[in-house]
Amino acid sequence: MTGATLAKTKVAGRPRLKNATPVWYCPGCGYGIITRVTCEVIEEMGIEDIAIGIAPGGCAGPEGTYIDIDYGHAAHGRAQAVTTGVKRANPKAVVFNWQGDGDLAAIGMGGWMHAMLRAETFTTIFLNNAGYGSTGGQMAPTTPAGMRSSTSIYGKDPRTAGFTVHVAEMAATMPGVAYSARVAINTPANFRRAKEALRRAFEKQMAGVGYSIVEFLSPCPPNWGLTPIEAMRFVEEKLIPIFPLGVFKDVDSIDYSMPAFYENK
Amino acid sequence: MAKGEITITESLCKGCGYCVLFCNRGCLTLSKEKFTSLGMALPVFSDPEKCNACAVCAWMCPDFAIEVYKFVETKATA
Repeated sequence: MTGATLAKTKVAGRPRLKNATPVWYCPGCGYGIITRVTCEVIEEMGIEDIAIGIAPGGCAGPEGTYIDIDYGHAAHGRAQAVTTGVKRANPKAVVFNWQGDGDLAAIGMGGWMHAMLRAETFTTIFLNNAGYGSTGGQMAPTTPAGMRSSTSIYGKDPRTAGFTVHVAEMAATMPGVAYSARVAINTPANFRRAKEALRRAFEKQMAGVGYSIVEFLSPCPPNWGLTPIEAMRFVEEKLIPIFPLGVFKDVDSIDYSMPAFYENK
Repeated sequence: MAKGEITITESLCKGCGYCVLFCNRGCLTLSKEKFTSLGMALPVFSDPEKCNACAVCAWMCPDFAIEVYKFVETKATA
């Protein structure tokens, strides 16, 4: 091999926007992969100077401290209200929030519904791990019927604990929503699809169409009582049949027409 | 001939094993000697010859502990 040399080039590693802080998640938590999706999409779109993230309480709380963009912190469940204020004060910024399933689908359900009804032009990254992660794996509205958690040790019974919230499908029924998709990060192919979905959501926001939400299915190995590799298979075999992946709404304009209720004489 | 190599920052790794699960070529194995402080087995880059620098291990690492390098053959000008 004379005349040829091998040059070593870096092809992947820590994204440029991810700072050196170690992530606080449990071994096998998918939120770190979602942090990578967020970093890489913001890098590829070149919007790091105008991006503002809002992180509320829960496992997604310190998410803003890992990414070198502007970020704010909201009270638990109130991220939609804070994000609304940030977006209305900075209409040219790309504003988004991270919310877990306890934060968006339980305590923050009212704020989320009304943010969608007002057609606020920001993006929500909804991290669904089918339970309350940081408080010890209690049952959440997104826990599927029959799934065990620390407050439903024989499986969630819909007769006493209610049915399962399907966030992406619910968002698709709202008139103010421009983009609603559900993705997972359980395989490299789904990782690529997740990046595409988040990019589409940011593009809808930058075009000023309306509210956009991307739901990420994420493994939560300690609270599900599984090893990380079993938890990835659990997402594939048990969660994806209940929470089907796909784009549920993708529109380019929102109908703001008002019907004439009264006859003008 | 190896087309790539990876480095694992063991102080960041939590030993979830996703890199071992998703490596298509079986370059990585879980160690039987080295463990994290929580007792999870650390991954080892045990078969470097099979690596083709596809970077799937780095994508699926939740702890940003893996860096992937690709060997690019360059013709020497001399």
